[in-house]
Formats: sequence, C-alpha cells, structure tokens
Amino acid sequence: MSTTLIVGTEKGAFLCRSKDRAKWTVEGPLFKGWKVTASARAPSGRYLVATTSYVYGAAIHASKDLREWEQIEQGPAYPKAEGNAPVIPGVAVGPGFEPKMNQLWTLVTAGKRVYAGADTAGLFTSDDDGDSWKPVPALNDHETRPNWFPGAGGLCLHSILVHGNRIWIGISAVGVWRSDDGGKTWAPKNQGVRHIIEDEKFKEIGFCVHGLAADPKSPDTIYRQDHAGFYISRNGGESWEAAEEGLPEGSVGMPGNKKRASFGFPVAADPHTQSLFIFPLESDEYRIPIEGKFRVYRSRDGGKKWEGLGEGLPAGPTYSSVLRGAMAVDGQKPCGVYVGTTSGQVFASADAGDTWRGLPCTLPRILHVAAYADK
Amino acid sequence: MAKVTIELPSMLSSVLGGVRRFEARGDTWPAALEDAFEKLPGLRVHVYDESGALRRHVLCFVNDVNTRFEDGPGPRLEDGDRITIMQAVSGG
Repeated sequence: MSTTLIVGTEKGAFLCRSKDRAKWTVEGPLFKGWKVTASARAPSGRYLVATTSYVYGAAIHASKDLREWEQIEQGPAYPKAEGNAPVIPGVAVGPGFEPKMNQLWTLVTAGKRVYAGADTAGLFTSDDDGDSWKPVPALNDHETRPNWFPGAGGLCLHSILVHGNRIWIGISAVGVWRSDDGGKTWAPKNQGVRHIIEDEKFKEIGFCVHGLAADPKSPDTIYRQDHAGFYISRNGGESWEAAEEGLPEGSVGMPGNKKRASFGFPVAADPHTQSLFIFPLESDEYRIPIEGKFRVYRSRDGGKKWEGLGEGLPAGPTYSSVLRGAMAVDGQKPCGVYVGTTSGQVFASADAGDTWRGLPCTLPRILHVAAYADK
Repeated sequence: MAKVTIELPSMLSSVLGGVRRFEARGDTWPAALEDAFEKLPGLRVHVYDESGALRRHVLCFVNDVNTRFEDGPGPRLEDGDRITIMQAVSGG
C-alpha cells in the first residue's frame, strides 16, 4: 500500500509519499504562492485541489496523476447579485451583503457527487466529476442568512458529511444544518450546544461548530468539535451532549467557558474503528497547546473517554497549533493519522496515534492535510 | 479592432497552462480582456470579481497607464499596445 499526503499551505501544496508509512519523501511546491485549502478525489479517481489568493481569488484544479494540473473553468461561484452593493471591507453581513467566493474550505466526494464548502458561507455541488458546479440555494439563500455573522476565520462552510440523501454541514458562528432530502430543504441542528453569539431574531443560529466527523458504523452518530466544546449526537444531530472526559484542564479564558480544554478545530474519525482524534487548545482566548504540550487526543470508544498522545511528537515547549483542515486519517489498518502544524511541520502516525514521527520538511503554515492510500 | 498583447504574472501563468503572453483583440482594454477570457477562460475568475469589476488587488495596465486611474474604458487601443495584469504589491 502506498500513501500520499496532499499538504496544503499558505504558499503552495506539497506531496508526501511513502510505501511503508515509515520513510517519506516530500515533493513540491505545487501551486507555488497560492493558498491550498482543500482537496478530494472525484468520483473518477482524479484529484481535485482548491487554491485561493487574496489577489486572484479561488479556483479548483484537477489532475489524474498529481503532476499535470488543469484549472476547472466553471468552478463554484455565486450568482451575480444584481443591485447589491459591494461587500463593505471587514463587514461581510448586513445591508448590501453580497456573497463572494473567497475560499473553498472543503471538498467532499460522496457517491457520484462532489460537494464544496465555501467562504463566504455556501454549499456547491458537482455531478460531473468536478467540471461544473452549482450552488445549493435552499441553504445559501436561507432566510436567516442576512444574520449569519463571520467568526474569527471568516464566514465559512467548512464541514460536510453525507449519508445517502442526508447531508450535514457546519458553518462557523452559525451552526450545524441538516438536509434530509439531498439539499432541497435545511434545518438547524444545534440543540444542547452552547450559543456563542445569540441572534436577536433567529435563535436557531449563532452556534460555532468548528469540525464534524461521522461515526463509521452508526450513521446517526455525529461528532462535533465546537467552539463551546466537544459534542456527540446519537440521533443525527437532533440533540447533542458534551463528551470531554479525559481532556486536559486549561485556562477558562472567556467568561462562560468550561474548565476542560475542549476548544479546538480538527476532528477525524478512523473509518474502521471507534477511534477519534482531536487537537485541544487552551481556550478561545489563547488558542495554543495547553502549557506548550503538543498533544493529539484520541478516543478509542467514540468519545466516551479521551487520552493524550505524545510519543514522537515534540517534547519541548511547542506553541504551534493544528488548524481545522490540517488533520487526516488514511483509512488503512491500523489507521494512519496525520497532522500539519501552523509552523509547517507534518507528523505522521502509522499505528492509530500510539507513536508519531516528523516528516523531513519544514513548510509554510499548513492549512490542509489529506491522506490517500492506493494499492 | 486593435491587436494587443496580454501579459500575465507568473502566479497566474502557473495555473493557466504556463501562458505568459498572448494576443487579443479589442478597441478598449475591457473589450480586449473579454477577448482574452474567450481565449483563456480560466483567467476571468482571477481578474474580475463577482460584480464584474477588477479584483481589489489586481491592476491592469495599458502600456504604462494604470486603468484604475482612468474614467471609463480609457483611450482607444492601437495595434501593438500591451495590457499587463499584475497584483498590487504594496509593501510588507
């Protein structure tokens, strides 16, 4: 089995390859100078990579072999909003709001469809292997949208889970939404989660989901790394309960926060077991590893109990972090787990997190890690 | 219509098949860019935003003239004119 990581950074993408998940080579950069924010394999097996630049905007590129790339000409785009004023710099909502395609946060393939989540927040789908895209208006134009407010990372739709016609999406500072009819209608699913910004008009928004993962065996079990903590839903998102036993204690930070350091961004689930992986940080106020200890946390039992993993991870004081898109699993047995850091290091585990090794590179700030295994 | 040369910066060229310079036709720079987008369709999304205006940090020069400082489509193009797309590199 060969393993390839696509590592997206602030200044391009890098390919890390290994035949044994022990020795790694590093190639790149691809898309030099571009932010590389997401990747996926399309239904045909070709690779899709999302890039953006504050100058030149967002696009998707496709490749069959990771060597020759072609930009998709009809990438995700918002319909031109007639009569709307341009976005006011720094204010992405309110009168005159016009959705702009700033960045693609995630690409997800499910069956023959590819989904893209965007900043400003929106969902797009492709039914032709990523060649053309259309918006999902029932979500993108939802009546609550004028009151969607951007979080620190922008107004972004960053997480997508799909099971048949049921779709869950996560938007920072807005919340989790679910569709049961393939995207025709949407309902917020945040009961049991603490509000972050309570909206005066729409009480069902103002929840700050950071990441979602699906349980591999039970389609109704969803894991949620939220601004307000780590949560599990066992009924498809109808209600959520905190699942934080074993997480470290950290500074409370902002008023109302919990004592456990359950703030974080990425969450990944091993597709063959009940193992989950997260990277807790010290409160929303600080957003750094607790006491400088760089630790991935693992639950082997679907979130009931957590344990810190550090063997092979930096031993000394380490204050770099792991961003939302920078954690991946490879689906092999045992599960490979990968994290990229804000200081450009990549750490890999070939034994479901028991031990780790650093890959031979120091890259720009890492935004995205995806793992692809091939025979 | 005037025959002009479109010049692209390396970051754009690198994702558009390596094209740095190509010929386009038009009597004004917006018209010439429309022809350029026909020839190189992936270029439009990087140059214009959703409203159809130049992206905030993209500059378009006609020869040595920054079109941002022009009212309207600017002077009529002539054969041999050069339209250069570049990013506003404004300090560190």
